[in-house]
Amino acid sequence: MKRIILIGFVLVIAIGGWYAYKMYQQKTPDVVNQHPEVVISAKELLDAFDKDTAAARKQYIDKIIEVSGNVKRIDTTGSVVLGEDGSASEVTVGLDRRHLKDVEKLKTGSVAVLQGVCSGYDKGNGDDLLASLGTTIELRSAGVKEKK
Amino acid sequence: MLKNLIVVTALVLTASVSFAQDKFYTKTGKISFLSQAPIEEIEAKNKTVTAVVDSKTGAIQFAVQMKGFEFEKQLMQQHFNENYVESDKYPKSEFKGTITNNSAINYKKDGTYNAKVKGQLTIHGVTKDVETTGTFKINGGKIDATSTFNVLISDYNIKIPSIVKEKVSNTIKITVDCNLEPLKS
Repeated sequence: MKRIILIGFVLVIAIGGWYAYKMYQQKTPDVVNQHPEVVISAKELLDAFDKDTAAARKQYIDKIIEVSGNVKRIDTTGSVVLGEDGSASEVTVGLDRRHLKDVEKLKTGSVAVLQGVCSGYDKGNGDDLLASLGTTIELRSAGVKEKK
Repeated sequence: MLKNLIVVTALVLTASVSFAQDKFYTKTGKISFLSQAPIEEIEAKNKTVTAVVDSKTGAIQFAVQMKGFEFEKQLMQQHFNENYVESDKYPKSEFKGTITNNSAINYKKDGTYNAKVKGQLTIHGVTKDVETTGTFKINGGKIDATSTFNVLISDYNIKIPSIVKEKVSNTIKITVDCNLEPLKS
């Protein structure tokens, strides 16, 4: 009887340890081809934050977002900027480490669909240097959404 | 009369072009941090850093969304946001400063210049004076600004539980790499 309890105890410790180790080693998920929580255009997203920042934060931050928009700039080191020419307000998209080559699928001036996690919103204050940059909404862990 | 008009127009155009190019900016700057503790090395990168440099005054500013840091391990990313930097409460880190040797940098001439930067860094709602050096590589009217410096997380009131002390270093190495282009206003 004692032996069975001991074996059971060792098993629980081993399974628990293995589970904790697995959890610890788990990589951040690739969200690019997961089902999005929000599908929206860059313009609609910018308008939503400008209109009611608090509500938009609740609605979009930390959510997996599929965003479509005009590709304004491509940074080959892993970022893409979506927005309209002539407007300082933009959606900046940081590519996931597994999707860095996705920039090759993009072309400045064309419409693209990207997906990532909404990670922040910023708008400079009056006297601040960043004020001239308009509204910026950021996405991380993103990539170009494959057409199905 | 016509000659005068042409001269005035040329002067106005030159002035407006030089005014427009006083400022340089990026919204896709990269900032990464590295923690090297006895048991573990932790690295995270943010690829959507906003920065502006005013070449006329030497003013420099960075803004970093804390939720924009991408980690390799899921649990680390979660602990970083929820327990350490509390990114819901303090979503943004910011640096506001000046390039103290700005006159030594010729923004109109290609070359590599050392930049001395002094200012205030705000992380986790705590603001501290920071002084560091960096490199400004001017190439074709753009700036590649790089810098590496250390911060102590204890300075910013970030508490690391004793159980993970061997995994998270108190000294964090910050690497900045921003390609700034002229801001057309």
